[in-house]
Amino acid sequence: MSLSHSVSPVSTPSFPVSEPPPGEMPPLLEMQGITKRFPGVTALERVSLKVRPGSVHALMGENGAGKSTLMKILTGVYRMDAGEVRLGGQLATLSDPRAAARHGVAIIHQELQQVPELRVFENFFLGREKRTALGVLDEARMRRESAQWLSTLGLTLDLERPLRELRVAERQFLEIAKALSLEARVLVMDEPTTALSGEEVARLFTVVRRLRDSGLAVIYISHRLEEIFALCDEVTVLRDGKWVASCPLGDLTPERLISLMVGRELTELYPSSNREPGAVRLKVQGLSVRGIPGRRALEGVSFEVRQGEIVGLAGLLGAGRTELLEALYGVRAPSQVRGSIEIAGVRHVPRSPRDAIRAGVGFVTEDRKGQSLVLTRSVGENTSLVGLGRFTRFGVLNLRAEKRAVQVLVGQLRVKTPSLATPVASLSGGNQQKVALGKFLLTSPGVFLLDEPTQGVDVGAKAEIYALIDTLAQGGAAVLLASSDMPELLSLCDRILVLCEGRLSGTLSRAEATGERILELATRFQSHRPLQSGPQGGQGGQGEQSHEPPSGPTQARPTPGDPV
Amino acid sequence: MTPSTSSLPNRVPRQRVLDILVRFQGYFGLLIVFVLGVIFSPSRDGVNLFVDLNNQMNILRYVSVTGIIAVGMTLVILTGEIDLSVGSLLAFVATLTAFLLTATSIGTLGSFVLILLAGALLGLVNGTVTTGLRIPSFVVTLAMMSFARGLARLLFGGVAITLLATSQGGNAPESAFFASQRVGVVPVPALLMFLVAILVGLLLRFTPFGRHVYAVGGNPLAARLSGIRVDFTKTVVFVLSGALTALAAYIQAIQLNQGAPNDGMAYELNAIAAVVIGGTSLQGGIGGIAGSIAGAWMLGMIDNVLNLNNVPSDVQLLIKGGLIVAAVALQRLQRRT
Repeated sequence: MSLSHSVSPVSTPSFPVSEPPPGEMPPLLEMQGITKRFPGVTALERVSLKVRPGSVHALMGENGAGKSTLMKILTGVYRMDAGEVRLGGQLATLSDPRAAARHGVAIIHQELQQVPELRVFENFFLGREKRTALGVLDEARMRRESAQWLSTLGLTLDLERPLRELRVAERQFLEIAKALSLEARVLVMDEPTTALSGEEVARLFTVVRRLRDSGLAVIYISHRLEEIFALCDEVTVLRDGKWVASCPLGDLTPERLISLMVGRELTELYPSSNREPGAVRLKVQGLSVRGIPGRRALEGVSFEVRQGEIVGLAGLLGAGRTELLEALYGVRAPSQVRGSIEIAGVRHVPRSPRDAIRAGVGFVTEDRKGQSLVLTRSVGENTSLVGLGRFTRFGVLNLRAEKRAVQVLVGQLRVKTPSLATPVASLSGGNQQKVALGKFLLTSPGVFLLDEPTQGVDVGAKAEIYALIDTLAQGGAAVLLASSDMPELLSLCDRILVLCEGRLSGTLSRAEATGERILELATRFQSHRPLQSGPQGGQGGQGEQSHEPPSGPTQARPTPGDPV
Repeated sequence: MTPSTSSLPNRVPRQRVLDILVRFQGYFGLLIVFVLGVIFSPSRDGVNLFVDLNNQMNILRYVSVTGIIAVGMTLVILTGEIDLSVGSLLAFVATLTAFLLTATSIGTLGSFVLILLAGALLGLVNGTVTTGLRIPSFVVTLAMMSFARGLARLLFGGVAITLLATSQGGNAPESAFFASQRVGVVPVPALLMFLVAILVGLLLRFTPFGRHVYAVGGNPLAARLSGIRVDFTKTVVFVLSGALTALAAYIQAIQLNQGAPNDGMAYELNAIAAVVIGGTSLQGGIGGIAGSIAGAWMLGMIDNVLNLNNVPSDVQLLIKGGLIVAAVALQRLQRRT
């Protein structure tokens, strides 16, 4: 056990700081021969996974490869049909989530399961509230203990704030601290960085490394290869519900890892296109957007996007990327927006998304399930939703013409779906994203606004979406692409605009752009840190020093200055 | 072959059976209730009272009022809203109908148009307050539930207004057509119900508006970002619900030969029950008209069989309650997988 629970929660990891070299440690978690059948489908077939304590283990595979199913078995959500799970050498029965938690398995979900209206410390003790002898909530104790647990991660959060005011990163840290307080030995992190900025990702990595060094076994799931290579020690690859490979990550190149996941050589992730930018299609001048009272979400931003050009939009979370796109798309009320927008020389003052669509703007949101798709409806209906007018005469829909057009479009987009009548909810993330993008194609917009278009999308589908974006640009569309995915920005965009604190801090041409330069511009005007403690992102590793927890006798933690 | 295909649902027999069961849940229920009705019906002179054509037509006539209201209610529920005001609205319009036909001389057609407008107007109030002030429709229509009944009492003196037959000096002979006439064997109110259901069904299937209704109920945010006027769609749906309720009120007033401010008590519950039993999700976005008609019909048959067997009305309420839960449980079962 890594954490003793009796005295004070601050008496953290009792593991030796210097751990033996990898190969000598027996696995903390052994899953062997795991088979799970759903009616008609074998989701997992004799899959194995071994994770050593003190290591970060990447679990890789495309959507539908079986990662989630395997993790659901580990966390007691599903029961396996065959196979065995050993934790610390002991056979473990993971009959339900509670049993899994008792065995020290914790998961940090993609969608965090917290109560937004409750305060930080209340969430920390949700379902296991501390009481005084009289049975009344012991708020003082809950505050004290949650602060202490957070401090073991080197964090301070305002415990009195309702959770909804916290950033996603902060909520994740809260979940991690909570897992620690529940004596987790195996921590599963499912796509923890999708909603984080670069800086927050670095902070998260620092925390994960700290956990690793304290002897935890971390299973890390992500679609972002650069994260995997930066953070993980070993990797297990699944494909189509089968185990494909397990090895130290050092033995693999990114290309090799991709081909293991995809099962074929992926010739090129990014299209190599020679686009010729034409006339200015989108012109933005002095655009400001009002944010929360007293602050501007966006201030005085000016730029142009030409026909056939893909312009990247970089920036940390809260830099104003989404606000910018929303202003262009009419999501924000005109009263909140100042400045001028022109589309192909015509003034554009969208009062609603409907106006924007009419002006030839398409918007793919960052949250495809929440904002782009009507999950209760079919692939076909979702695809034609924006362009229904094309099939309407005298107020009546021509269903046959609609079906024909949608069929063609779905084919072009290479959406993998059994039929147009299939519920869109049952498609994989990548195919859903193709629908979210494709639904604008029927109206042939001249301006595309894309917000994190490949978030949570597997590699194969990613390549297809990139090719699609490239095709759109080649067809003469002006594309504005907001992304936190550095390689995506660097490889796909002709120019990159960098936002910082709502202002345009720089524009980089394709030749000038590097990850470092983008990050530098993205933090240029930074006046406050998203997280109250900690240095700039902690890249590099010497950042550790300032993570000294504010209180408590913490002895056995990794010493400051440990290489991360 | 790419792995993503493997994540597509491979529907298995059990799931498919459930899907079909839920999809046509109203009809299966209808069939089962009919068979049970035949079995448990008392006979007289060797004639099964339940199966008797006249009885069946009476059921239809009885169902038509709830059915027509349920059609409008389905639209509202499909957009993810609710209309609790239909019962009171019916009372107001029924009283207004009786008033117009007895105390004024605008005649059948004039009063018919007027009451439809009145219903639509009150629906418009529901819709604009809900969307304009961003108040949940549950609250807005709860308020309208009180308001419309109060208005009926205030304007028309709180007592039932009796319609007079032409022979007694009544002035709207054509109105009788709605109540007692039949086309072939089918009572006119039932025909109207089917007509309304078919029209609204076509509206849902063959117009952009129909798609918008489903999209708004399924995901209002995505609908807005797809260029759909969400507030407009919701308002229209409330207007339609009001107008259809007015039609039902007209039919009822003439059938009962009176309109009273106390009419339509708990009709909203019957309509919602019919919609839910018919397989429309209260969360919006899923369901359809045909199911609601089947649901209303089924509730009517149950009432009828129980009445034929002299089962007290209290017991009927219990059975209705159980049915609603069973219908929704079936939907849950299907969606869990």
